[in-house]
Amino acid sequence: MTAAPAGAGAPVGAGAPVGSGAAVPAGAPAAIELRGLVHGYGGPPVLAGIDLDVAVGRVVALHGPNGAGKTTLLRLLATRLRPVRGHARVLGHDVVRQAHEVRTRVATLPVYGGAYGALSGRENLRLGVALRGGDDDPGAVDRALERVGLIAAADHLVRAYSSGMRKRLALARLTLADAPVWLLDEPYAALDEQGQELVDALIAAARDDGRTVLVASHDLPRSLATADAVVEIAGGHLRVLARPTRAPTATATATAGTGAGADA
Amino acid sequence: MNDLHAVLWIARKDLLQEARSKAVTVATVFFSAVTLGVLAFAFGENPLLMREGAMGALWVALAFAGVISAAQSWQADLEDGALEALLAWPVPRAAVYLGKLLANWGLMTALGFVLLPLAGGLYGAAIGGNGETAPALVVAVLLGTIAAGTLGFALIAVFYAGLTANLRARESLLPVLMFPVVVPILLAAVRASNALVGSGDLDLAWAWLRLLVGFDLVYAVVCLVLFRFVVEA
Repeated sequence: MTAAPAGAGAPVGAGAPVGSGAAVPAGAPAAIELRGLVHGYGGPPVLAGIDLDVAVGRVVALHGPNGAGKTTLLRLLATRLRPVRGHARVLGHDVVRQAHEVRTRVATLPVYGGAYGALSGRENLRLGVALRGGDDDPGAVDRALERVGLIAAADHLVRAYSSGMRKRLALARLTLADAPVWLLDEPYAALDEQGQELVDALIAAARDDGRTVLVASHDLPRSLATADAVVEIAGGHLRVLARPTRAPTATATATAGTGAGADA
Repeated sequence: MNDLHAVLWIARKDLLQEARSKAVTVATVFFSAVTLGVLAFAFGENPLLMREGAMGALWVALAFAGVISAAQSWQADLEDGALEALLAWPVPRAAVYLGKLLANWGLMTALGFVLLPLAGGLYGAAIGGNGETAPALVVAVLLGTIAAGTLGFALIAVFYAGLTANLRARESLLPVLMFPVVVPILLAAVRASNALVGSGDLDLAWAWLRLLVGFDLVYAVVCLVLFRFVVEA
């Protein structure tokens, strides 16, 4: 499928891509593909028929007011919710019918740390690696802890961590997951300036590695600096906020993809 | 990934947390000891009544303690979004269930093994039977009965605790949902235990034990099949 480019401010839907608008080889699945996605919690739908395509290797930032549906969208893609209508695919796998396949390809950064308080930081990471089917490699865990600045607190129980430290631990777990798609929910929240720069660096490294990243954030300046496209969810619909001009990386050029909707 | 590997990691996680917090151990040991003591007091000074009621009291204490254990089994998972993270990983839902079951069953069985001599001493019941059958064999079958009974109880407890984990009224709902389903397990376990302690009647005990294991198998299959829907709901 080929995507027609769309400008900032345009509603996002089938045939209305966001991002660079790069063409993709026919038949290549989008990293993330949403079609007519509807979800709600009993009242008016939070997501009222969303269409979106995110190409492999792109970073897309999701903005929107509190309660707009950013976390709901990420949870749907992480298979933790089921759409009321429409469908969502991750690298060609349906989030309902092929949930396990989706989970093997997705790593999430939940808005809360998602760690066990009675385990140490190191034990939490080893558990995460083991349950993702990875090798129990203490060196890799130590490197991840070092990278996020937690090596000195590695053996402390997580219940003694500050919220910023818990977020850093979740970042370490994300890097260990080695998943092609990252779903980040408020990655900058609770972090100091150094921690926020760490998130930017991890996102940049993920792009260079060819990973696809969907980031829910309220930090528009950072999104403009790191994302290939910034979209807003409001009133249950998506619209393009910005498509920062960015020289595509070698990986992004080689793997750029799209569906009928958005090309990020 | 190796599913057995995942089961063992999840069980290890739960047991490690319990080893550090001792929340389940302290609450269940204290509660079940009090239950045994109060029931012994209620039976009065009739030695025959005490002996015949010993295993019933043991299983009542285990059942009440099991509810506490089950309610606690998901508590740590609910804190800080840990369960949300766990379920977003590519872990088969059956492995999550079996891991939590293994940890819960281990704790319940250990509690049963501790309570058995306590109940025997408190109620004046001969744990080794009446001497017609080898005491070691009677005790071994009795321990097997406790293991099979607590397995059946844990199968239901972990399942329903998972079902009610996200509900506000989970503490009150859990026993209401659980107890009607575990009654067959408790009845079979009490009968098998009584047959052993009272008369050392292995044949009668085997009959109840077979029924108990049958219930365990049925519950295991049903819970394993349905658990996916419990956590995905």
